[in-house]
Amino acid sequence: MESSYLIEANNLAYKINEVRLFTNFSFNLKAGEALHIRGSNGSGKSTLIRILCGITPSSKGKVNKKDELVCSYLGHKNALKTYLSVRDNISLLGLSDHESLESLLSLLDLSEKLDVIVANLSFGQQKKVALLRIFLTGADLILLDEPFVGLDSNSHDLLCKFLEKKLHAGSGLIYTSHIPTGISSKDISLD
Amino acid sequence: MLREILIIVIKKFIHQFASPKTYFYQVNRLYPWILYISISIYISAIIWGLFFTPKDFVQGHSYRIIYFHVPASFVAQSLYAAMAISSAVFLIWRVKLAAYLSRSIAPVGAMVTFIALVSGSIWGIPTWGTWWEWDARITSTLILFIMYLGLISLHNSFNNFEKADKLFSYLSIIGFVQIPIIKKSVDWWSSLHQPASITISDKPSIDPSMLYPLFMAMIGFAGLVACIVILSSKVQIYIREKNKNWIKDYV
Amino acid sequence: MNILLLLKNEGLKLIKKTRAWLGPILIFILIMVAFPLTVELTSNNLSDAFYPVLFISILLVMMLATEGIFLEDYDDGTLELFLISKNSLSQWVFLKIFMHWLLIGVPISLLGAFFNLGANNDLSSSIMLFPALLIATYIFLILFCFGNSLSLTKGSALGTLITLPLTLPILVILGKLNTAIIFNINYFEFLILIFGVLSIIIFAFPAIISRIIKTHLE
Repeated sequence: MESSYLIEANNLAYKINEVRLFTNFSFNLKAGEALHIRGSNGSGKSTLIRILCGITPSSKGKVNKKDELVCSYLGHKNALKTYLSVRDNISLLGLSDHESLESLLSLLDLSEKLDVIVANLSFGQQKKVALLRIFLTGADLILLDEPFVGLDSNSHDLLCKFLEKKLHAGSGLIYTSHIPTGISSKDISLD
Repeated sequence: MLREILIIVIKKFIHQFASPKTYFYQVNRLYPWILYISISIYISAIIWGLFFTPKDFVQGHSYRIIYFHVPASFVAQSLYAAMAISSAVFLIWRVKLAAYLSRSIAPVGAMVTFIALVSGSIWGIPTWGTWWEWDARITSTLILFIMYLGLISLHNSFNNFEKADKLFSYLSIIGFVQIPIIKKSVDWWSSLHQPASITISDKPSIDPSMLYPLFMAMIGFAGLVACIVILSSKVQIYIREKNKNWIKDYV
Repeated sequence: MNILLLLKNEGLKLIKKTRAWLGPILIFILIMVAFPLTVELTSNNLSDAFYPVLFISILLVMMLATEGIFLEDYDDGTLELFLISKNSLSQWVFLKIFMHWLLIGVPISLLGAFFNLGANNDLSSSIMLFPALLIATYIFLILFCFGNSLSLTKGSALGTLITLPLTLPILVILGKLNTAIIFNINYFEFLILIFGVLSIIIFAFPAIISRIIKTHLE
């Protein structure tokens, strides 16, 4: 059946050690749409995002993704090597030669920090380096788990602008956030 | 089309048979039969072996511990093979009952291997003059014992049961490589152990009057160990399915 | 990501963590230098005891070298990222083990052959020992990585204890190789035997380890 969805979930349920986190969760996301997943602490938002990424298998239900869907994910862990410098981390991701790297670094106030070891950066600065990955790799579906935590207002606006640009270009976005964002998105609650 | 129907039928069959509830009730029915038949076979084999078989030419009466030692070591290796097969079934077809079974076999296997090692040591004193020797078969059986203990400790160290089951299965399948090593080690390395008396192809080199009680002892002992495995698997099902309604009704 | 980029990444990560690769090599040197001190000067047993001490210290050093090999990438989220980008995890595991072998296993094999020269004054036995040590260090590395992956979240002690029984047959074969080297019989047969074992597990185990790591990530 031909359909324009990017990702579709049917009756997802997840339980761990016989404790149910959520049941009968379904949604449908098309290109250019954003989905905001709400829920109280412990309701399973992060687990749901991991199920949608494909890391964790759900106990019941299925996730259907469009063929050849490129996903981009940023969760609670930054996937940065804390004993390497920012420059080394960028080269580990294979992004050293990216054309927009210089401009993004100056926008994020990271140009002087290139040779600083990541462990010596503040929490917010580390988050910004991790966000570089999201900015620079083209993806059809962006999954973000609490992306705005720790960002100053400049970076917050930068991220929102970037996400809206991506949405206009036809990518999909699924995110969880306790902090209000300006992005127009569908809401769905896990409680 | 036919292939799809066949696959669906097989899956339904496996899932029906593999429900812990069905297994539990069936096993409850069979248990007394297996228990009494095995006890009678084993006790008659022991009595026959201990009192009614002739003395060995070289070893005298001390060889009679063979009726404890050989069934124990045979069952220890077979239990590991059963556990590995059950783990493979769990990994391939996701049958949870297979995971319960493999987890319940592990402590029983450890106990039987321990019996084999101890009875072997006791046999070693009159025969070889030493109760321990680092030859191939004894060392590989000791490795088997440690593997059983390692499997149990691996499973116990995880709170998340699904994860623990999968890791247990991977380890037990990898560890299966030591079963051929145990069986063949006597042929590959010269050691104190005698070569296998009972092989599939050749005529057995052991006297028939000792062979029959040995076979009976092996069958009886295997039956008794099967009873213990059944009890252990029932305990596993209690622990893992304790929130289900049928367990609450049963208890 | 292609293989060369992965290899470069893993190499960069390992080289920058100096104590991860230099530590095991220094400990190996320490053991091999310290053991003659425990043997009486006039004793002729130095060369007898040399091979067992060599093999056991290689075993222990490989155990140390794999401590936390996957834990760092598991903890900081690199593994999840890798999985989501649809890269082959077993390829990554293979390259990681290969890098560890290049930076730790090969120097230790060289040093082991060198120490053999010192203990036995025999160049031909050192030359025969070197490829055997190369293969043996790789096999130990793979087995201990397997154990480490099993107990990824619970500390590496449990995992290495579990896989220690699997390494004992390899030690037995190494012991036989030792006699083969001393008396110069059947050397190639034993070398082919451990090379055969290596060729089976070198590709099979990374696949199994990647499945185990995926189980941990769930």
